[in-house]
Amino acid sequence: MSLWSKIFTMFRARANEAGEAVVDANALRILDQEIRDASEALRKSRDDLTTMMAQRKLSFNKVQPKQNKIAEYSGFIEQLLDRGDETLAREVAQKLADLERETEADEVLLTQYDGNIENLKKSILQAESTISRLKQQVDSVKATENVQRAQAALASQHSGTNTALRTATDSLERIKQKQLERAAKYDAAKELEHFGGDHDLKAKLAHAGLLEDHSSADSVLARFKSRPALSAPPALRLDVDKPKSNV
Amino acid sequence: MAFQWTTAALYEALIASELNLEGKIELNDGLEPNISVQLAEFGDLPVQITVSGAQLMVSSALWEASQVKDPARFNELALKLNPVNALSNIGLITLVPGRDLYIMFGELSASSDLAHVIEEIRVLADNTIEAAEAFADQLIASEINSGVQS
Repeated sequence: MSLWSKIFTMFRARANEAGEAVVDANALRILDQEIRDASEALRKSRDDLTTMMAQRKLSFNKVQPKQNKIAEYSGFIEQLLDRGDETLAREVAQKLADLERETEADEVLLTQYDGNIENLKKSILQAESTISRLKQQVDSVKATENVQRAQAALASQHSGTNTALRTATDSLERIKQKQLERAAKYDAAKELEHFGGDHDLKAKLAHAGLLEDHSSADSVLARFKSRPALSAPPALRLDVDKPKSNV
Repeated sequence: MAFQWTTAALYEALIASELNLEGKIELNDGLEPNISVQLAEFGDLPVQITVSGAQLMVSSALWEASQVKDPARFNELALKLNPVNALSNIGLITLVPGRDLYIMFGELSASSDLAHVIEEIRVLADNTIEAAEAFADQLIASEINSGVQS
């Protein structure tokens, strides 16, 4: 059964006990067992890998002397055939044929070892990642337990009252309250400024045409017209910079 | 191995950070200590921070299960919200037998930068307040909820 299924089964069992803490020591016990199992599998895979690699090395070590022998025998056969000693050449050829069969078998064995080693390495990687995932899960369960405990402690401080545990809705209410207060303060300040400042009077005077309006188009134009005339911009004299030879 | 926060070290770092100017930071010491942060900006919502091994969990209380009008409907809405709300999830924990609490939570690596932890605290508080606003009509006895003003 998968880990999640186990935890869910535990939830259901607990639910039937009518209200035990949901994620508790049981979840940790399950996770602990999972980690032990995975670690055991990992240890076994590592042992197998060591054995397998040792065996491969032994087999590989046998191949080279055989290859040397094959080269040596091939040389003998050539020399014997040159001398016309067919009988002895045949005898050596028999040995050579045996050796070639053996090395072929050795190659097959080595390929098998390589395949097994590859598989073991894969399953070791897999086991390692399973273990680290399980350990993360343990951290999550512990963190949740911690939150549970902290919230339960808060709740027990208010155990007499119905639901006095400070939650999101209470904080939202505080924020709204603060916003209302801030808005009220803002309005009050506005009103004060309105009364205290000369805003009202200025508006009335401007309306009566007694106050100069600095930002009207008329006043801007008038400002420009009343400026002393600037000296004329220098005339454009393009010929000045031309090289003398061209003149 | 990379640096990892412990609850105590994180508490010291938070106290020394700018977050300390914005609210109250407390360490609830014990066998498994946790940090509680209450920021004025988020209506003094208590946000719990705990470090457990390689994991850092930030959480806040939404409301008790008994305050939800239609649990099946609310659960469905919460599940639909989870994928959209990238940084925080809604979950349910048991406080004491028979008393379940909905929480908003987010998890970080215990190797996260202090800046990331602080951001997570703010985002979680913000999301919690958002949720309180969005789910207000799913809760019963709003006069009880809004009655707490201290």
